[in-house]
Amino acid sequence: MKSYFIKRIFLIFVTAFIILSLTFILMKLLPDTMPSGFPAQVQAYYIDQVQMGYAKDLTELTPSLGEPLYRYTDTLSVTHYIYKTPVMEQYWRFLVNVFTQWNWGTSTRISVNSSAIAIISERLPVTMSLNVISIVVAVPLGFLFGIIAALRKNKLTDHVISTLVMVLISIPSFILITLLLLVFAYGTGWLPSQWPASGADAATYAKAYIIPVCALSFGTIAGFTRYMRAELCEVMSSDFLLLARTKGLTKTQCVIRHALRNSMVPLVPMIVGQFIGILSGSMILENLYGIQGIGRLFTDSLVARDYNVLMVDMAIFTLIGLGANLLVDLSYGIVDPRIRMGAKK
Amino acid sequence: MAEKEIFEYVDTSNIDHKIEIAPEDIKVIKLDNSIHETKFKTKPTTFLKDAFKRFLKNKSSVVGAIILGILVLGAIVLPFALPGDIDSTHLEELYLEPKLFPAGTGFWDGTRKFSGFTVAYDTVNETPGGYKKSAVIEGSLETKETLINTTNPYAYGGYVSFTNTIGEGDATSLYSYPTDIDLSTSGDIIMNVVLADTASTTANQLGEYEIVLNYDQNLENTLVLKSFSKDYGEISINVSEVLRENNVTETLLNRASFRFNLKKSADFASQLLIKSVTFNTSNEELKNTLNYIGFNDANAMVRINRSTDGKDNTNYWNCTGTKGVYASTLVMCNFVYDTYEAAFGLSEFTLSSLDIDEYIASGYLTYDYLIGPDSLVILDSAKSPITRVISQTYDDKLMVYTLQCEGYRYLQLGYDSMPIYILGTDNEGQDLMKQIFAGLRTSLLLGILTAVICITFGVIWGSISGYFGGNVDIVMERFTDILSGVPWIVIMTLCILHLGNNFFTFILALCLTGWIGTSSVTRSQFYRFKGREYVLAARTLGASDFRLIFKHILPNSIGTLVTNSVLMIPSVIFSEATISYLNLGLQGLPSLGVILSDNQQYINSYPYLIIWPAVVISLIMISFNLFGNGLRDAFNPSLKGAE
Repeated sequence: MKSYFIKRIFLIFVTAFIILSLTFILMKLLPDTMPSGFPAQVQAYYIDQVQMGYAKDLTELTPSLGEPLYRYTDTLSVTHYIYKTPVMEQYWRFLVNVFTQWNWGTSTRISVNSSAIAIISERLPVTMSLNVISIVVAVPLGFLFGIIAALRKNKLTDHVISTLVMVLISIPSFILITLLLLVFAYGTGWLPSQWPASGADAATYAKAYIIPVCALSFGTIAGFTRYMRAELCEVMSSDFLLLARTKGLTKTQCVIRHALRNSMVPLVPMIVGQFIGILSGSMILENLYGIQGIGRLFTDSLVARDYNVLMVDMAIFTLIGLGANLLVDLSYGIVDPRIRMGAKK
Repeated sequence: MAEKEIFEYVDTSNIDHKIEIAPEDIKVIKLDNSIHETKFKTKPTTFLKDAFKRFLKNKSSVVGAIILGILVLGAIVLPFALPGDIDSTHLEELYLEPKLFPAGTGFWDGTRKFSGFTVAYDTVNETPGGYKKSAVIEGSLETKETLINTTNPYAYGGYVSFTNTIGEGDATSLYSYPTDIDLSTSGDIIMNVVLADTASTTANQLGEYEIVLNYDQNLENTLVLKSFSKDYGEISINVSEVLRENNVTETLLNRASFRFNLKKSADFASQLLIKSVTFNTSNEELKNTLNYIGFNDANAMVRINRSTDGKDNTNYWNCTGTKGVYASTLVMCNFVYDTYEAAFGLSEFTLSSLDIDEYIASGYLTYDYLIGPDSLVILDSAKSPITRVISQTYDDKLMVYTLQCEGYRYLQLGYDSMPIYILGTDNEGQDLMKQIFAGLRTSLLLGILTAVICITFGVIWGSISGYFGGNVDIVMERFTDILSGVPWIVIMTLCILHLGNNFFTFILALCLTGWIGTSSVTRSQFYRFKGREYVLAARTLGASDFRLIFKHILPNSIGTLVTNSVLMIPSVIFSEATISYLNLGLQGLPSLGVILSDNQQYINSYPYLIIWPAVVISLIMISFNLFGNGLRDAFNPSLKGAE
């Protein structure tokens, strides 16, 4: 099993490295955008870029190099000309900076001259809390509805639940939040239509969580319900459950002791898998609800053309996805005896 | 008759039964033709026919397929069938509500409901302020009076308030615009002032005030009409008497100005609230002059700026401090508004003689500019955009006539009858229904093209990887592993940033990762089937790799591939809509995602603009999923009910 784990982890690292390298190179190939702000800030930005090796300071103007990125005169009245270094050299410098200083780049537009990592870490908690709350809400509800539907198979309850599952699994979360906003925020006015500004009291925050959490978790609840129903239905018709009934267990005992336990095997992978779905869904939701999370940051940096921040934001999404994949693989390995045994030999 | 055979038996209740059977009753069907020579009575069925039969048994999938069919048909037909274009802006037709039934039916009738008393009522024109009177549905108007402390074009009455800051100092004043008053003719001037006797808020207190009359070029002459006091309520002052007492002999008061002086106080913010200042006189000529000085509508007085010629109905009073209005009455109203009547109904508009000439040439009407408005003769009342000419002006420089006309707007805009937009129009006056279905067409086209490309590539990739196995498989698998690790949103963003947001970039971006699912399905199918005996047999008989892959193994996965490609379309629609919300939407072609993300801002003001696209995109997703699941169950009955 150890070799299986090592193999998976190694593979994930290689994948992450290749994807991030490609992302960096592709982002750097885009036309440069100058940082917004005062000339002093722009100058500070380019001095920093020169120090990090993404640009070169060529004080003697050599026309063959083409247009300089930026030009400034320092206190000694020496005019500096900043040129972009070749992309592959920038890539090398990027690797060096990341591995030696954990420096992922500097923001040009969102928050000039502050590090991209700082911006991301400032915005990450909101997104994560939203996603974790959604999954915490969704898992028990999904399982509950799944069990009810399976126990009432082919009855009215099952049909109602299955229809709702079909509808909710199909409707994208950004449509759901729109409908929820229309009904509960603009229609009745019960819930806020926007994420509160920082400094609001706890009650306002609690209320503000309701709409995005609902929009995010409905699809997930539907997913869990469908999975649970299918799994339970299959287990319920199996021979060992018939045996359990024959030896005198009641239906409830059968379900709780035998059927449920059996369908819990892929629980962790399932939850992790849904978590990724929620994460990408929350990107749009954060925009629509004005939540200052990393999803909103994605759009903000895209609109502002702040490619350095965008690149790190993309990296975060990629890494979370890969990490979740790894977790799925590993948990399968731990939970499922077939893989565990197979990996041992 | 042949001899009958008789059978006897006794049943459980001990009753005897006898049955007679004659030889004719028994027919021997196989006497001389043997059974193997007959054909099967049942028809043979194919794999697809069988699947189709199973599909039809699944009611929800059939419903899904029908809805899908209707939507697809709509996407093909409606963008051509619906009139109007969705490329240009129609300023006359902005934000028309969805209309299916005639106005006044109360449901889906093109009316907009204004509730919560948010619209000011124009009491002069007897219509909600800024809205057309004829378009307000009869009987729907409710009004409510409110008092406001700001000026409003539709408010009236109230008090002119001016308030001092706390602290000692010179008195501040409110004074009328200097006007010449001719005293040569007889008649006394009585000045009536109405003052409020309580302050506007507890923070203010009514202060001590005086009323003076200033005149002469630099207002150097001052007559005290009323010395500092705290009298409030209605006050009447005989101005002429004061003039006589002070021995003013001039017959003409040059630049006379009435002035309220309000004392400042160190303890409180002193305030004066003046409801009206009016003048009474028996002299008619003087009355006109004085009417320009006085005011009885505080809201109107504070609102206006004095025009240069000084000929306003209400005169303008200036203030050395800040003047405001207090407790003026504003009527707010609720009503139901017919947006179509407002946009297309009978209304007044201005036309130039060029337009009129065109109408004359078309034979709708005749008109003689030299005679004027009365010369209008309508020849074709069903087509003539104007029914009445109200007035006519002539521009000497441009040498054109400008006519103020009344008529039906829809005729003037070139419609034969009042247009109807079933799903309303958007912020550019474009038909929302046409937009939605044109967007749906783009989405479907995108989905189908992407699905075809992804399936083709995925099948080829998966076949090679699965069929050959070994090192080829390992290398190809690692490649897909890495590619599938990139979130699709990152791939799409990078593609669009590099290649622009056009149709082909979208296809490229969607295809870059879309094929991975298909390839892994195909690969596992190959792993399952390539070891089977029939494949071995075919190989033994000399079948080539190509033949084995495409003739023998691949057909096994036809069901999965069909299901996969159908289910890929909604995911493409989803991706397209999602990317539009990131401001990277498809440009140049109508797109559902762009409609949705653009209309998101009208969620509160014009909710139908977001509801309809949301409903259509939800319907297409649900019906595609139902249809796809039905297909999957039909092709693979063992998976029924499973994920």
